[in-house]
Parts: sequence; structure tokens; C-alpha cells
Amino acid sequence: MPEEIKAHITGVVFQITAAAGARVAAGDPVIVLESMKMEIPVEAPRDGAVKEIRVQEGQTVQEGDVVAVLE
Amino acid sequence: MGMKELVDELAAKRTRARAMGGEEAVARQHAAGKLTVRERLDLLFDAGTLTEIGVQATHAGIAPDLAGRETPADGVVTGFGRIAGRLASVIAYDFTVMAGSMGRTAEVKCNRAREIAYTKRFPMIWLIDSAGARIQEAIGSKSFAGSGLLFREESIMSGVVPQVAAMMGPGAAGTAYIPALADFVPMVKGTSNMALGGPPLVKAVVGEDITAEELGGSKVHCEISGCGDLEVEDDRACIRAIKDYLAYFPQNNTEPPPVVPCDDPPDRREEALLTLVPDSPRRAYDVKKVVRAVVDHGVFLELKPAWAKNVVVGLARLGGAPVGIVANQPMVLGGALDVDSADKAARFIMLCDAFSIPLVFLQDVPGFMVGSKVERAGIIRHGAKMLYAVSEATVPKLTVVLRKAYGAGYFVMCGRGYEPDLIVGWPTAEISVMGPEGGTNIVFRREIAAAASPEEERARRVEEFRKLINPYMAAGAALIDDVIDPRETRGVLIRGLAMARTKTLQRPWKKHGVMPV
Repeated sequence: MPEEIKAHITGVVFQITAAAGARVAAGDPVIVLESMKMEIPVEAPRDGAVKEIRVQEGQTVQEGDVVAVLE
Repeated sequence: MGMKELVDELAAKRTRARAMGGEEAVARQHAAGKLTVRERLDLLFDAGTLTEIGVQATHAGIAPDLAGRETPADGVVTGFGRIAGRLASVIAYDFTVMAGSMGRTAEVKCNRAREIAYTKRFPMIWLIDSAGARIQEAIGSKSFAGSGLLFREESIMSGVVPQVAAMMGPGAAGTAYIPALADFVPMVKGTSNMALGGPPLVKAVVGEDITAEELGGSKVHCEISGCGDLEVEDDRACIRAIKDYLAYFPQNNTEPPPVVPCDDPPDRREEALLTLVPDSPRRAYDVKKVVRAVVDHGVFLELKPAWAKNVVVGLARLGGAPVGIVANQPMVLGGALDVDSADKAARFIMLCDAFSIPLVFLQDVPGFMVGSKVERAGIIRHGAKMLYAVSEATVPKLTVVLRKAYGAGYFVMCGRGYEPDLIVGWPTAEISVMGPEGGTNIVFRREIAAAASPEEERARRVEEFRKLINPYMAAGAALIDDVIDPRETRGVLIRGLAMARTKTLQRPWKKHGVMPV
């Protein structure tokens, strides 16, 4: 089942730390947001492969926006 | 009958009452992964100290379907006993008798148990495993119109004696408001749940099909709603949690909290604190490591650990004396405060203040969250709860600024304006109305726009601004009491607590304030 990973805070995409196709473990950062003067990772909710990354560095995302999808 | 026959009859009645709902019902209770009410009470109270009241009680005799039947102890065990030597009153629902429903006689017993805790001023404990009101005895205006006083009494007892409501089975409607008004609510994983309306009522009234676990299980309340304080593995862990919690509390609000002998050296230096904070001020670290490094033997009873995780609250000891810890958590949302975390911290501050437990604030807060989402959720009034609670608190308050202390975040975490008895900063402390980037954009907007190279001008101004944000500026103006080596934190806090022990603040008389709930 593909699973959407959503931003839990409004911010700017600072870094993309997992590319499409990469395997991630639960708790690994998929992207890092910059918000509230801090680098805030958006973590994989479970183990899996990244199906797609839906954002680009520098892009503003709102809380609840889908930033990536797990296979 | 002579006395011998009479006491034999008494003994037989006692045996019947203590057999609860009978062998089959007890077997069902065990099969569900639950202990019986009497097994729970054996674990809770020091051996042989429970004095039961109302063991001969039975149902009120008004429900036709109960005619000719007995309801042992009327489905609730009440009494008083000693926990670690100290008295407490208990109301423990027995699910093996009429599903632990709140019968009319049962409520008379419960009223008695609350009266004992209230008038003798010692803790009140509920072990909840109950289907809620016993409808057969409560239905109709004649029955119901006089009921409900338990919640008024529990409200009045709040802040006078510690109140614990452990969810060890279901709690619906009536038995869900008991934990809502209690100070501490542990919930057993898998077997406990609470909801104002249970699944059958939900189905009948709003048409939703949902299980009790999905509706109000321990995960829902300990991770999403914030109504539960601690998810525990099983009944034994639940009883342990109640004892651990009570060990930090006085018997009532006129006594000091219990101090225990401490063999953890007061001036113990913790080398790990030297390298804990990352070099980049924008990187996160786990503030619980600071808490565990500083408190006695690293023992920390965290409350609501899985809800509003951007703030960490809980009980610990420093030099043997109980303290309440309020710490920002940079690992979650960068430590920014939002609606739920403000709620969580405000409530915890009120709890500690009510029972004379000193507060230790560990600050690393980039501020309150901003944006349309949180504004619509009422961040202004939720944030104000924390301002209100920290302002009202007259217990000793100690503040350590670990790193960020921005905007109202600095205020609500007991900044200088909020009567800290001691406020110190680590060398990494950044106290400011806002960060250098945000501040520069506002203050030097025109200069930056007019510059030949706006980006260079902005960078230069940001660096200038950054120089103004360091602990020696605050300490140089004597607005924080000292800059300390992180390794000294434990010693500084213990000396500060000893100094503040005799703190006396007399607030102006008022009936009560208008709390921004």
C-alpha cells in the first residue's frame, strides 16, 4: 500500500535527504523543512522504499501537504 | 440465634461479597487480561492496611430484573488504606458485578469514600472498570434529577488532595468525567477505554460504527486527545504508575511534598552536557537527555509523553526533593509551542503549584508557532493559558536557558519577568524578541531595499543583529543571574531550590481569576 508522507509543520523545504527509489527505515528523515528558525525533519512513518518526492528544495509547503510517497 | 451463629452468618456474608460476581465472571475478567478489583487493591495498598467500607452493600431493589439477586458490594469496592505508609481513599469498580455499573447504592458508597478523602485531606484514587451508569436504576426523571454531585465534589477537591483516576477497563459517560477531573490518568493498553458515549450509544445517536478501542482506547487518549497521562502495559504496571506518581505528592495542599534521602551527589557534573547541544543552532537534540543527566539518578516520570511532544513535562527529584520539569523539546517541531503543548504545560504548572512542587524550566524555544492554521486553532488564548499559569504559580521557580529563548516563548517558560527565583543561561543561550533573520527583515527593511546589493546588506545586518543575541548581554545587564557551564546545571539547581524553599508570595485576594481556557 503506498503511503503519503505529509508535512507536520508549515515551512520551506531546506533539504531533500532521500531520493526516489531509496529505502528508508521508520524514523529516517525524508526531507528537512526549515521553519521556526530550526531544521525540522519530516520522517518516514514506516520502513519502505520512497516512491516519489513531491517537493523541491526552496519550496514552501503547508502543514498537511504531501511531500513524498512511500511504496 | 446466639452470637456465635450471628458471627458465622456475618462471615458467610463477607465471603459471598468478596467472591465478587462469581467464578465465571472472575474467569472472564482474567481472560480479558485484567486482574479482579480485589487483586488490584492487594497490589495498591500496603499488605493488610485496606479497611473496606460498604462490603455488605447490594443493589437498591428498584430494578425489576434484579429482584431476588444480590450484587456483591454493589459492584464497587470502597475504603481506605496505606500506600507506602500514607493514607489514601479508594473507589474501585468491579466489572464482574453488573459490569461495574454505577448503581444507586454504589454511589452512596462512593460518596462516602470521597467524603473521607475530602474531610481528612488525603489522596483519592479511582480504579475505573465500569460500563457507566446502571441504567435500570437511573432511568427516569425521579432517579436522575438528583444525581451528578460526584463531579461537583471532585471539582471542589481539585487542588486540595491529589486525585488519580486509573483507567483499567471501560469508562463510559459518568465514569469518563471522573478521569477528566482527576490530576493523573494512567490507561492500560488494550483493555481500557473512555468515551462520553460508548459505541452502542454512538451508533444509535450519530450512526457511526466504531469499536471502543478506536473510539477511546489508550492510544487515542494518550497520543491524540491528551485526556490520558500515561499508557501502561498491564494492570500491574498501572498500579506501579499510581504509586510512583503519588510518591512525589504531599497528602494535601497544606503539606510540603515528601523529601527522600538522596545519595546522588548534589554537585555531580555531567560531562555529556558539554557536547549535547549541536554546533548549529538550527539542529535538534533530545532535551530529555538534559533532564535525565540533571535529576537524581536519572529518574524522570514523564507525563503525557506521547502527546504534544514539543514540550516535555514530568516529575523528578533534585537532592531528594520533588520538582516538576517543564522543558522544550527541539526534536519535535523544533521545540516551537503550539495549541496542545501550551495546554499540556499550563495544566502541569497548575498541578505542581497546587501541591507546592517547585518548577524547573529548561528553555530551548524558537517561539510560538505562527501561521493561519494555529491562529484559527486559537493559539492566542491557548498560549495565554501558559502565561496565566506561570504567572499565578507561587512555588519556587528555576529557569535554565539552554539555547533559544525567543519571543513569548521566553515569557511562558518563566523568563525574568515571571518571578524565577534563579534564572541562568548556558553559554549557548539566545534570548531575544525574535531571531536575527526575522528581526533584520523588519527593522532594516528600508535600508536593505535601498542598498546597492540588498543581499549583502541583509547578511551584514543579520550578523550585526546576531552579535546582540548572547547570554553575556543579558548577564551583563544583570537580567539573568549567571552564565553557567552546562556541567554545573545540577549543582546550580539544587542550590537554587534550597535558597527558594522559604519563598513567600502573598497575591492580592480574589475569588478567582478569569483563566483564558
